[in-house]
Amino acid sequence: MKRKILINLIGILLAFLIGAIVMLIQGKDPILAYASLFEYSLGKKFVYTLNKSVPLVLTGLSATVAFASGPVNLGQPGQLLIGALFAVIGGLYLKLPPFLMIPALLLLAMIGGALWSGIAALCKHFFRMSEFITTLMLNMIADFLTLWAISYPLFEKDANHPQTPPIATAAWMPEWGNLSSSVLVMVIAFGIIWWVMNRTTAGYEWRISGQNSLFSRLGGVNVSKNYVLVMLLTGALAGLAGGLVLMAGPHRFIKDMGANYAWDGIMIAMVANSGVFLTLIFGLFFAVLQTGATGMQLTALVPRELIQVLQAVIVLIVVAGRGYFETLFARREARRKMKGLAK
Amino acid sequence: MKIIIGLINGMLTSATPILLAALGGSVTYYAGIFNIAMEGMMLGGAFFAALGSYYFQSWVVGILFAILGALVMALIFILFAVVLKMDEFITGIGLNLLSLGLTTYLVRQIDMPVTEIVPIPRIHIPGLEQVPVVGEILSGHNLVVYLTLLAVIIIHYLVFKTRYGLRLRASGYNRTCLDTSGVSANRIRVSSLLICGVLCGLAGAFLSLGVVEGFTQGMSAGKGWISLAAVILVSGSPVGIAFISLIFGFTDGLGLFLQQDLPPQFTAMVPYIATLVALFVYSMRLKKKFNA
Repeated sequence: MKRKILINLIGILLAFLIGAIVMLIQGKDPILAYASLFEYSLGKKFVYTLNKSVPLVLTGLSATVAFASGPVNLGQPGQLLIGALFAVIGGLYLKLPPFLMIPALLLLAMIGGALWSGIAALCKHFFRMSEFITTLMLNMIADFLTLWAISYPLFEKDANHPQTPPIATAAWMPEWGNLSSSVLVMVIAFGIIWWVMNRTTAGYEWRISGQNSLFSRLGGVNVSKNYVLVMLLTGALAGLAGGLVLMAGPHRFIKDMGANYAWDGIMIAMVANSGVFLTLIFGLFFAVLQTGATGMQLTALVPRELIQVLQAVIVLIVVAGRGYFETLFARREARRKMKGLAK
Repeated sequence: MKIIIGLINGMLTSATPILLAALGGSVTYYAGIFNIAMEGMMLGGAFFAALGSYYFQSWVVGILFAILGALVMALIFILFAVVLKMDEFITGIGLNLLSLGLTTYLVRQIDMPVTEIVPIPRIHIPGLEQVPVVGEILSGHNLVVYLTLLAVIIIHYLVFKTRYGLRLRASGYNRTCLDTSGVSANRIRVSSLLICGVLCGLAGAFLSLGVVEGFTQGMSAGKGWISLAAVILVSGSPVGIAFISLIFGFTDGLGLFLQQDLPPQFTAMVPYIATLVALFVYSMRLKKKFNA
């Protein structure tokens, strides 16, 4: 356990070092940049970091559950958008009191996401089309479909950009100070997913199927039923993320709303090695980076887009490092045993 | 008649980047690498092509820069997937995102006015140009379009008619067997990735110096993924890839043509839906073969 933490930390430090080199080449001060990054996101803007972590953790959980259970669901960006689209339609046309409105919209968002991942699941189930490419293509289609929806049928009159009118105020996520209640929804979702994956038969079956599909089938697991279930669940999680982004943030569907979270969930799941708890940690960590990017730009004049580069480098180095160090440790262990045998 | 010629020309333009990247993917497919980094390599190529063309005011340097940029991407892939033995899928995704992040970061820092970018010229074939219809279809394309045609032939020859091609396919078929016969499979894999880098770089150069002038954020727009689908659909065959890319290109051109009747968002979806349909046809054929 300790070794795992150490390996992750070494990877992150190496990635930061590479980021620092990029900054030095451009004549910026990396120490000031990193200091202002963490000061901003962990200090006065910590609440915003928590708010920001909601879509990251949820899409991360979606990818984690999928990867751990077998299906290569890369469709979080599209499922997020469709979820948000469903939520905005509900928010524009439903008239309910807040205590019903919010759950109803969250449910709609989850249905939207599950519908979109369901298309890919059905394609696989009936036609054996690899979900890995279908989800990617559905991402692009969702992109254009939502753009069309907010440019024509749901277009706000006289707006300059494609966007919908604001949803009913009853559907706005309540805020305590600046802390959005969407964080609470995220914590509940995390708890449920952790419980399902670690404490239920279904979660056990999923994880076993993810590790060895043939073994689980021989053991009596209904693999194809579980496949469809996992796809629907992970789609619903991504859809929920979309709904929450919309209901906590701009309260309307604006162009390019999902673009920022597009691939982050997949990156988080990869760097977390498809572990549910690590997904939460890395989701929060990525939120720290993304929120702190603003502080870094303000104080150290390092453009915030550098964080995108840093995130990708972290994924590459942490994952590669994990494999590399594990072989290194295993080799040392083997050598020690060999010595013991020689005696 | 004009419409048909327009459709065919549009098809060739849209098919070219997909075809080039898919040819690169074909080489790595035969080498047994699950290479999904074409998208990132293409995007990197597109950025560096615009950069080279802008700084040196020359499209030749632009193409060279594009190839170099994509080669750097390929080297990163090699470092992680071959040297550090990291999962190829994760390496590919990581590399695509690194490319997207890096080009977005750089394009915000370097201002490249579109008017000062030198595009790759179109080639007008003397004599042929005057022939009606045929001339209009075959002449006047971007240089890269003709290079792509050449690349199909070269890659086909390379894979199936040379010693290197035999080793390439052996590397994908049984890596250990190739290693024990005294040829380093890793060396073959590395070289296949480098070839893929060159082709994806060229595809990127065509995007930012051919189709349009100048680089925009994320301009590869899933073309690398479509090319991956093309590779999978025909199990890597270069000639098959050429056909399937032309079909994808045709649907893209058709989308533009349909713009008179449909909102542009729907016509933009056409290539992705076509990919799904192609996958569907492929899996149906596979199912029939499986049942027979």
